[in-house]
Amino acid sequence: MSKKTDIIVVGSGLAGLTAALSARASGRQVLLITHGVGSLAVSSGCIDVLGYHNGCPVQDPIADLPQLNPEHPYSLAGAERVEKAIDWLQSLCLAGGLNMQKNLSRRNHELITVMGTLKPSYLCPESFCTECFAKARRAAVVSFENMKDVHPLLIIDQLHRYARFADMEFMEAMLPCPIDQSHRNVTPLDVARFVDTPEGLEWLRLSLEPYAKLYPILLMPPVLGVKNSQKVWGTLCDVLKVRIVEMVSIPPGVAGLRLREVLRNALNEAGITMIENALAVRAVADDKKCLSVVTSGAGGEHSWEASQFIIATGGILGGGVATSPGKAWETIFNIPIKAPENPQEWSSTEIFGRSFFSQMGVRVNADLKAIDDSGAVLYENVRFAGRTIGGYDYASEKSGHGTALVTGMLAGELAGKE
Amino acid sequence: MDHATVVIIGGGATGIGILRDLSMRGIQAVLLEQGCIAAGASSRYHGLLHSGARYAVKDNDAARECIEENMVLRRIGSQCVEVSEGFFVLTDQDDPAFERPWVEACAKAGIKTEQIDVKEALRLEPNLSRSVKAVYRVPDSSVDGFRLIWHNALSARRYGGEMLTHHQVFAIEQEGGRVKGVHVLNTVTGQKSYISCNLLVNAAGSWSGNVAKMVGLDVAVQPDRGTLVAFNHRFTSRILNRLHKSSDGDIFVPHGSITILGTTSFHADRPDAHDVPTEDILKLLDIGEALIPDIRTYRILRAFAGTRPLYAGKSGGQGREVSRGFHIADHQEDGLEGMVSIFGGKFTTYRLMAEKLSDLVCKKLGVHAACRTAEEPLIEEPSAELLEKAKKYFPVHGVTLAANRLGAAFPIVVEKAAALSSNPLLCECEMVSRAEIEYVASDPSTTSMNDIRIRTRMGMGTCQGTFCSLRTIGALSECRIPFPTPPTESLHHFLQERWKGLRPAIWGIQAKEMELGRSVYAATLNIDGALNEQKN
Repeated sequence: MSKKTDIIVVGSGLAGLTAALSARASGRQVLLITHGVGSLAVSSGCIDVLGYHNGCPVQDPIADLPQLNPEHPYSLAGAERVEKAIDWLQSLCLAGGLNMQKNLSRRNHELITVMGTLKPSYLCPESFCTECFAKARRAAVVSFENMKDVHPLLIIDQLHRYARFADMEFMEAMLPCPIDQSHRNVTPLDVARFVDTPEGLEWLRLSLEPYAKLYPILLMPPVLGVKNSQKVWGTLCDVLKVRIVEMVSIPPGVAGLRLREVLRNALNEAGITMIENALAVRAVADDKKCLSVVTSGAGGEHSWEASQFIIATGGILGGGVATSPGKAWETIFNIPIKAPENPQEWSSTEIFGRSFFSQMGVRVNADLKAIDDSGAVLYENVRFAGRTIGGYDYASEKSGHGTALVTGMLAGELAGKE
Repeated sequence: MDHATVVIIGGGATGIGILRDLSMRGIQAVLLEQGCIAAGASSRYHGLLHSGARYAVKDNDAARECIEENMVLRRIGSQCVEVSEGFFVLTDQDDPAFERPWVEACAKAGIKTEQIDVKEALRLEPNLSRSVKAVYRVPDSSVDGFRLIWHNALSARRYGGEMLTHHQVFAIEQEGGRVKGVHVLNTVTGQKSYISCNLLVNAAGSWSGNVAKMVGLDVAVQPDRGTLVAFNHRFTSRILNRLHKSSDGDIFVPHGSITILGTTSFHADRPDAHDVPTEDILKLLDIGEALIPDIRTYRILRAFAGTRPLYAGKSGGQGREVSRGFHIADHQEDGLEGMVSIFGGKFTTYRLMAEKLSDLVCKKLGVHAACRTAEEPLIEEPSAELLEKAKKYFPVHGVTLAANRLGAAFPIVVEKAAALSSNPLLCECEMVSRAEIEYVASDPSTTSMNDIRIRTRMGMGTCQGTFCSLRTIGALSECRIPFPTPPTESLHHFLQERWKGLRPAIWGIQAKEMELGRSVYAATLNIDGALNEQKN
């Protein structure tokens, strides 16, 4: 079976979804092929642009972009692109009912995590913003029985270790678990799904009421629904006369799924077809031109033809990059990634240290096309986006979604122009 | 603590075995360990409870000791031993001439071997190479080193034995040719103290040479590095050995849901040579392929190394040439009264080593008391009632796991679980519940998350700490059991410990897990940033 389309995007993480949307804006036909749910299912749902540069905190990430090394995806895309992509996503989300906000002073937000640490991020859902702590100095820290990943006393102890929160009054607010699962883990996602229902929302309102009377801020894990979080947050803040702040949480990524929901809806509205459960296993190319991508799924192998391709299959975790002792390669085109032969040299002795491992990916040019050592383009009609591209460590510089968004949007735009 | 009749240096199997033995004989003893218990070779090995078959040809006496002790440990430490039996397999790469003498040597040592049809062997172990030539059954078993040692420690405590972890002996006080006591540094608090004693026992394994040096003695203890690889799968039901002269990479030992492949042998220049070169892992994979052809398709969970405390004695020699037997030295012969040492040996015979050493201690102290460690079980079996009660608070399979891990402390943890409003599993891979973690955390010997890991196995499973470590530190904040270091630092230290064993095998599925781990702790929780931004 084969059916030709204009542009094929492989991967449905933030890079793939934004690439498909921006490619579609050119008027071309776009087909999105994906194997799993993509990285948004495990993500914090906040767009980190740049939190640290060479280990030093970055105040204004946009202003600091020009200092990055020339191979960094931001440098390839150009600093002005970053701001443009952020604004574009912000308006996309707003249209989809999710209010994503920059920090009022146009610096990084300092978001609160479920470990009570602060984490820099550039664009986050309104419900995560922590500016309210500048005025109100008291907050209740809410969690739920059996929610193993969120412990208010840890969060309080940890926040007090930051100068900004040192003298703040916090109170533990442990709510009963609304879901009956003995011995089981209850995650913020379980509660969020319950809160999506009318009785769940009412239950949460009643449970929070006593604390809302005592404290101006309620700090909570991201449980305010998956489908209508903006509305849930707005309603609860209004009726309880309180400011609710959600915390950045570990997987499952409730806020990531909210963002995914918004982008999937936008995809549907834009008329982009999405093929799921299809693992892209290889490409068919004629010299420097890719003709089709072959997927393997429940119904066997399928070949998908297009004029332009965007590969956003993720990095090592996502499956876009594979490794064996001393070797690394991109998984669809088998593009070799230059790696030290001794795997010992791949990583730093310090888990969060600088290393080849954390930056490994495909080398691309400013056109986001893969290049070899001499800088020659490998495939004329294939672009890469997101973590598949190497040259930066998203975990230590806190730039994960930012790079995905910027390269995704750019790849879509460039493919749409060809 | 300012005086003890006997001070024991070294919290490995031998030292803690001695503590138990002496305590049972009514001798007041204190054990000093510089790190956590079982931090050296006692945990850094493949966890094989030898039948002795491996040593039968070369060292028949050591083989006999093994089979005898193997049977003793099955009896007294049934909660720590997985009776899985072993296969000795002749592959097409092994010399068939070795087979006959090996069978005869096993018989001589009292090790029961039984040849089975290759077809039947392949039915029992379908992942075994199709090209094997001959297969024998032997009474090998797997043993959980951490647990066995911990149960010994708990048994010793019941008899009044005392154990101080993170206590490093930095000097030994002598007077007139006699040891008077030891100067000790608490490595957690930085406090120094002095403990006087009638007798000092050096059971520091690979470090015993360093201890002897403090009194000016030069002993031929030679640390020998062995690397091991743990796979995230149990691809064999039994222990698999190559039927050939002992060599590298020829043993697979299944434990619970994982399999350990070992071991290499390299001369080490220091006792804590625990770094794992990737070439060791690749070498093990190459050799392991002869028994398990699909070996490269399994995810490597981690790699680790330990140093065997080989005792070359006066004869010298290196690596596999050196006997696995043990040697007891009364330093009276070197002109120093009040100090004895035990060198060499191996995990399987730790109890026997402890018995012999304790016999000498008794003789020197003029105490007449017989050894009872071979008869009395380390822990009592929990009652059926208690197990039934525990099922209310633990998942069914978790009951047995927790009971086996906790031993005498199990009833206390069941009570603790009953008192909690819920008892969630903080570590799902190893089924460790909150009550168990709280209990272990409140033990005075626990000062870090690693100490908790060693006793509960929290963080040793599939996620390698990615999910359970945050939960553990959260639960401990809730029950207000603080570590000496702040939460971010404690967590970082724990992850860093795990990282050491992950990074030498950074490829395949393991690399994915590592990217996930960094993503959770650096990208999402910003642990790396918080380390610099929080104040203690």
